[in-house]
Amino acid sequence: MFDITLATWQILVIKIIVILTVVPVGALVGGYAEHKVMAHLQHRLGPMYPGGFHGWATTLADGIKFLYKEDIIPAAADRKVFSLAPAAIMVPIIMTYLVIPIDRALIVEDLDVGIFYLLAVGSLSTIGLLMAGWSSANKYALIGALRSAAQLIAYELPIVLAAVVVAMLAGSLSLIDIVETQNWPFAIWPPGIGFIAFLLFTVGAVAEMTRVPFDMPVAESEIITGPFTEYSGMRYIFAHMFAEMGHMVAFGGIGATLFLGGYQPIVPIPFLDFIPGVIWFSAKTMFMIFLFLWIRPTFPRVREDQLQKFAWKFLIPVGLALVLVTGAWVLYV
Amino acid sequence: MAKVGSPSEERAGARGRVPSRHPEEGAAGAEGRFKTEEMILNVGPQHPATHGVFRLLATIDGEVLIDADPVIGYMHRGYEKLVEQRDYRQITNLVSRMDWLSGINNELPLALAVEKLMEIEVPPRAQYLRVILCEMNRILNHLMFFASFGAELGAITPTFYAFREREDIQRVMEATTGGRMHFGFFRPGGIKEDVPEGFVEGALAGVRQVIDRLPDYENLLVGNEIFKQRTIDIGILEEEAAYSYGVSGPIARGSGITMDVRKDEPYLVYDQFDFDVQSAPNGDCFDRFWVLIREVGESARIVEQAIEGLPPGPIMGKVPRVIQAPEGEVYVRCENPLGELGMYLVSDGDRRPYRLKIRTPSYSNVSALSYVLKNTYVSDMIAILGSFFFVLGDIDR
Amino acid sequence: MAQTQSASRADEALERVKSALKETISEPKVNFGTVDLICEPGDLVGVMTALRDSEGIECKFFGFLSAVDRSELGEGGGGLEVLIVVYSPVHFFSVAVHVPVAAAAPACPSVSGVYSGALWHERETHEMFGIVFEGHPQLSNLYLPEDFEGHPGLRSFKLPGRAVKDWPGAKDPEEAAAGGR
Repeated sequence: MFDITLATWQILVIKIIVILTVVPVGALVGGYAEHKVMAHLQHRLGPMYPGGFHGWATTLADGIKFLYKEDIIPAAADRKVFSLAPAAIMVPIIMTYLVIPIDRALIVEDLDVGIFYLLAVGSLSTIGLLMAGWSSANKYALIGALRSAAQLIAYELPIVLAAVVVAMLAGSLSLIDIVETQNWPFAIWPPGIGFIAFLLFTVGAVAEMTRVPFDMPVAESEIITGPFTEYSGMRYIFAHMFAEMGHMVAFGGIGATLFLGGYQPIVPIPFLDFIPGVIWFSAKTMFMIFLFLWIRPTFPRVREDQLQKFAWKFLIPVGLALVLVTGAWVLYV
Repeated sequence: MAKVGSPSEERAGARGRVPSRHPEEGAAGAEGRFKTEEMILNVGPQHPATHGVFRLLATIDGEVLIDADPVIGYMHRGYEKLVEQRDYRQITNLVSRMDWLSGINNELPLALAVEKLMEIEVPPRAQYLRVILCEMNRILNHLMFFASFGAELGAITPTFYAFREREDIQRVMEATTGGRMHFGFFRPGGIKEDVPEGFVEGALAGVRQVIDRLPDYENLLVGNEIFKQRTIDIGILEEEAAYSYGVSGPIARGSGITMDVRKDEPYLVYDQFDFDVQSAPNGDCFDRFWVLIREVGESARIVEQAIEGLPPGPIMGKVPRVIQAPEGEVYVRCENPLGELGMYLVSDGDRRPYRLKIRTPSYSNVSALSYVLKNTYVSDMIAILGSFFFVLGDIDR
Repeated sequence: MAQTQSASRADEALERVKSALKETISEPKVNFGTVDLICEPGDLVGVMTALRDSEGIECKFFGFLSAVDRSELGEGGGGLEVLIVVYSPVHFFSVAVHVPVAAAAPACPSVSGVYSGALWHERETHEMFGIVFEGHPQLSNLYLPEDFEGHPGLRSFKLPGRAVKDWPGAKDPEEAAAGGR
């Protein structure tokens, strides 16, 4: 898209810096939102003290606390793999941010195969989880890693199918094109199809993030924290908390882009155009994140085999049928 | 597993269990299947699902538990020996610490045993207050397990709901006895002191609130589809096995047993109240939990009735200055929140018991775990452990 | 009143127990609403099976199994005995079975075949009182470490604190305040 000149190269650097700040800030805000949303859903206040106003600095304080913790590597662990695993989990998550259009111009690289890249990169962190689980020399970690690998494979497919539906409707794999074609968000248009795809995506995303009710890989009452059992300090933050929050913000952004019209106003009314796209995008992302947070205090955990059955016997068939219907819709309507 | 199972294996499947895959049994049908290796997994002694120091030696094959052997004793304090060195006043405070979620219920059988041997008549007001306090303690205990069972299945919200209601009752208990967990309030002959002002109002308000909100609680978990899938037909304990293992309390009543000491051999003044013994027929995790929730309502009903009928009068019977049980033996059974708490007291006429055998409910209940856990899924293990509602101090004494 | 009702239930139960068990038991009586009887170790498994299965008794519910060391009880003392309490959830009464065992090398047949719940109770009694339960599948320690010496449940096992100093409560509280202890 761009002619590579020095100027665009500079723009690229600035964009990357912006993205690299968006990820941790997003994770911090996501963490705070998780504290507060969950608390208010459960008739309590949540953190109130750090930072003064409604505990706004809680996640920041958490992060600083973890920074000071000892970084423990178990004696029996495979040191190299153990230390690399958090990076292997974190980097793919950051990489997904590269193609999400925050505004018409604010995108690091508008790839022609944007969706394809997103899905391919998104599932890479599985390798990191397996690395963490295997190298920890801990049975709980191993069970957790195997569970998460199985789960990510199973739930990647509904997401892919939902994305395929969107790509078919938009007629393009580029995320900018997808947003531009959404006069009305796909989640509400065309009748039914977009909404089912949106549900498929949300369920798949919650499972990908290993959050309740699909948090078997990290189920704390069973296998402690799964692959992260042996991690401590900053490594734990990167491998688990940060990755989960980063994942959540990424999926919020993807959901907003694919289904809710990204940086476009929610309804095509001209006088709403004065609101910048960044605000629209952020609001939609926040809405997605709220959906994810809402699910957590509502449900108990699904059992491992039920989780697999749900994916393979329900979500994926529904997704395949939906692709067929969408094909028919695109061809004949 | 596509092969035709033996009748017992088919039955096992129907009961939510995995057909046995033990090498010697499965050898004939093993061709064409993956060769799997068993792994021994130590669940505990420090594990989030064990509520304390409890270890489960689990032999697992993939996600299937082949064998589970509970290992206890990490908290053994030797109460049965310690009580032989203490007089009856001191023992009250010791036994209060056995099951730390239902302290006041633990003190009751000791007081009853001494009263039986010494033939002390306990005034009605003390008897009524004992019933009220015991039942309020039962509500506290059951709400706690309501919270923890949800948390074990990944539902965190019940915890906060339950603790909100617990706090109101807890405050009344605290104002009355001065303690939040270890009350030390029952004496042979009566209770330590009369209840403070505002007790009646506070207790009534507390239990009425529980009665009001109980349907919400039930719907929160029992009405949840995922919760049902996790618990129905999981961890089945049959009626006969429950009797044979000495399983009692809500766990036994979840297996279709209608045994409740309060109804069968009424002690105190339980025969004057109208309440039902809740029971469910299937013996799975869901039924055990359902019985537990229902019992909260029954306890609240008893408290309401007892407060209405609370007579005036003294709170202490005619008790000699030094409590010395005469020579003799007596066995007293009480319905603890978690099951039957029995104390077999052998006295030689001293101020100290000659021998006090304490039969705690959790001990017998947990001994049935290895039977129930055999050939279940690892993920069900947590649900089953949680549905056995045990307190570590009560197991180890 | 409830107490009298349960007492009469126990009296009726005593007659049924007597007629069902006949010679295998001795000294059957009702003690505070509990049917009390003595049985020799040789007859124990038969007695327990009869208690569980006989019509009119049906003590299906396993209460507990433990032991009482009577060596310091009363004048001259008694011996070691195994104590089993079972309960009938059908007819609402408890039966306490006393089984005297030899003080030297005490042994008793295991009733874990009749009541599965006895498995743990017998292990506990084994380590606390040194009674060997013949036929128990795995008589390892439940509470104590494997290399623990002695049997804490026995009267002869003194708590170290009490070996140094007598029980302070032996004195009257008032005497103690006046300068004892």
